[in-house]
Amino acid sequence: MKVIIVDDEPPARDRLRRLLEEIEGCECVGEAGNGQDAIALVTREGPDVVLMDIRMPGMDGVEAARHLSTLDQPPAIIFTTAYDEYAVRAFETQAAGYLLKPVRREKLSEALARAGRLTRPQLAAIAATSTATRRRTHLSVRVRGELRLIPIEEVLYFLADQKYVTVRHRGGQELIEESLKSLEEEFSEDFVRIHRNALVATRHMASIDRAADGQYAVRLRELPETLQVSRRLASDLLKRFRA
Amino acid sequence: MVGNGNDTPPAAPRSSYLPDFCATRTVLAVVLISETVAIVLALARQALESGFWTDLARTSMFLLWIGLCSAAVLCWSRPRLERMSVAFASAAALAMLVAVTVVISEATWRVGQYWFAGVEGSVADLFPSDHAGFLIRNAGIAFIVSALALRYFFVSNEWRRTVETKARSRIEALQARIRPHFLFNSMNTIAALTRTDPRLAEEAVEDLADLFRANLRETRNQIPLKEELEVARLYQRIEQLRLGPRLAVSWDVSALPMDLLVPSLVVQPLLENAIYHGIEPLPDGGTVTVSGVRHEREVELRVSNPLAKAGGSGHSGNRIALDNIRERLELAYPGRARVHVAETESEYVVTLAFPLTANEASA
Repeated sequence: MKVIIVDDEPPARDRLRRLLEEIEGCECVGEAGNGQDAIALVTREGPDVVLMDIRMPGMDGVEAARHLSTLDQPPAIIFTTAYDEYAVRAFETQAAGYLLKPVRREKLSEALARAGRLTRPQLAAIAATSTATRRRTHLSVRVRGELRLIPIEEVLYFLADQKYVTVRHRGGQELIEESLKSLEEEFSEDFVRIHRNALVATRHMASIDRAADGQYAVRLRELPETLQVSRRLASDLLKRFRA
Repeated sequence: MVGNGNDTPPAAPRSSYLPDFCATRTVLAVVLISETVAIVLALARQALESGFWTDLARTSMFLLWIGLCSAAVLCWSRPRLERMSVAFASAAALAMLVAVTVVISEATWRVGQYWFAGVEGSVADLFPSDHAGFLIRNAGIAFIVSALALRYFFVSNEWRRTVETKARSRIEALQARIRPHFLFNSMNTIAALTRTDPRLAEEAVEDLADLFRANLRETRNQIPLKEELEVARLYQRIEQLRLGPRLAVSWDVSALPMDLLVPSLVVQPLLENAIYHGIEPLPDGGTVTVSGVRHEREVELRVSNPLAKAGGSGHSGNRIALDNIRERLELAYPGRARVHVAETESEYVVTLAFPLTANEASA
């Protein structure tokens, strides 16, 4: 069984690695100190299980697990935490594997034996109850089997098509399988709905122009094209943009 | 180790120092105040008139009318008074009490004048004969007595609030002692070190023991600043093991008078917050700065940490700790201590200032 350890504290990783060495049939194939590194490591090593700390700088463990769950062959996740009432309650209700630090060897081998995969809805529910901020720091897209992360700050806009949502970001554009509505809810602080099918990052907006026919259009920095604003949402948008 | 606790309830608007005048206890207090005044008046008049008991009885009856009507008026107007500031509410209450007295005095005079006008003898003698003088005297007495009574209610309310605040801050100090996150993480670090570096593990256990001993100390007691800083250093050493090179703490406190007595656990919680909210969310860590300045009359202690970008864990736990420190400094140096928080784009700075002189009101 291939295991990856994710924790931002070196002593915590040392201890888990030593415990794993004593459990038969287990092999630690890598360690990471934060969520992003963990995702890169998982796509490279393809482990069976990830021991994932929750509270980490940068991307936390719950978000990393959510991104990993979009893989074709996602690893089983066992969360580890020193103390987090809310997270533990969320794990209990979603039947997710978790270990409390300091971890006991018996508990670790039990958890490894039972480790199962979590579904995306289960992880979303855990994220909703266990972390202070529900927002992800990144979006994940699959590019030729690889998991690619797009930082939210780099996203310029989301455009909904029939079935997919196009993410336009500074490095290009990608298709994701998420609804515009759920994206709007999650990122309401930084994104604004300007049309039935478009959600725009306020931080990248340059101006709101008014055409001769009274229609408004949003101009973004770094992009030549403009985005149509629906009549219904125009006044709300102007209010928010001015504020 | 200031951790989770219940948010302190928002301070009640201060003008609500007036008790509920519909409550039995308060009505009893009003009756007692009225009777006391009646006795004082009757005693004072003995030099002029005869018949102490008759005088006391009629004064009592008159004053009870005033007292109970006043209670009724205050009971009815209390919701409105509570919305005003202390000064306005007191002035309004005073005006109402004087008005009630004048109205009842006027009524009394009329009753004596019209109902018992033809009656000769003792009954008519019980009523006043001098109309304007009677009203003015009563208004004056009402003003003085009401002002004293309001002052009494205000002071007793302040006293109760102080007692409650002290009790609450003591409980909070107790609750605040151990942040579970820190305890379990430290245990985990020690568990790891017992194999890799037993000597360091031993040291960590010693540090943790000292830290807990400091935390279990009576928080009312004041300790020399040197000891308080030592506790903060213990805390830093334990966190250092866990965070490694991500944590750096720069100490610049040599200017401070190390023998100055300070309330315990005012610096360590600040360092803890700086690490928990400032350093831990940063992938590459950062530097916490603890610095102190000695002014002519006061000492300023400053703890600053770099700020993680928005979207971090937030500062809600921090506020509880700050409120706690603020309250304990206020108890130790009433009106002479300050806790100031400044937040910029990249830095979060907490400044404590407290007097350099001997601590007068040690709680």
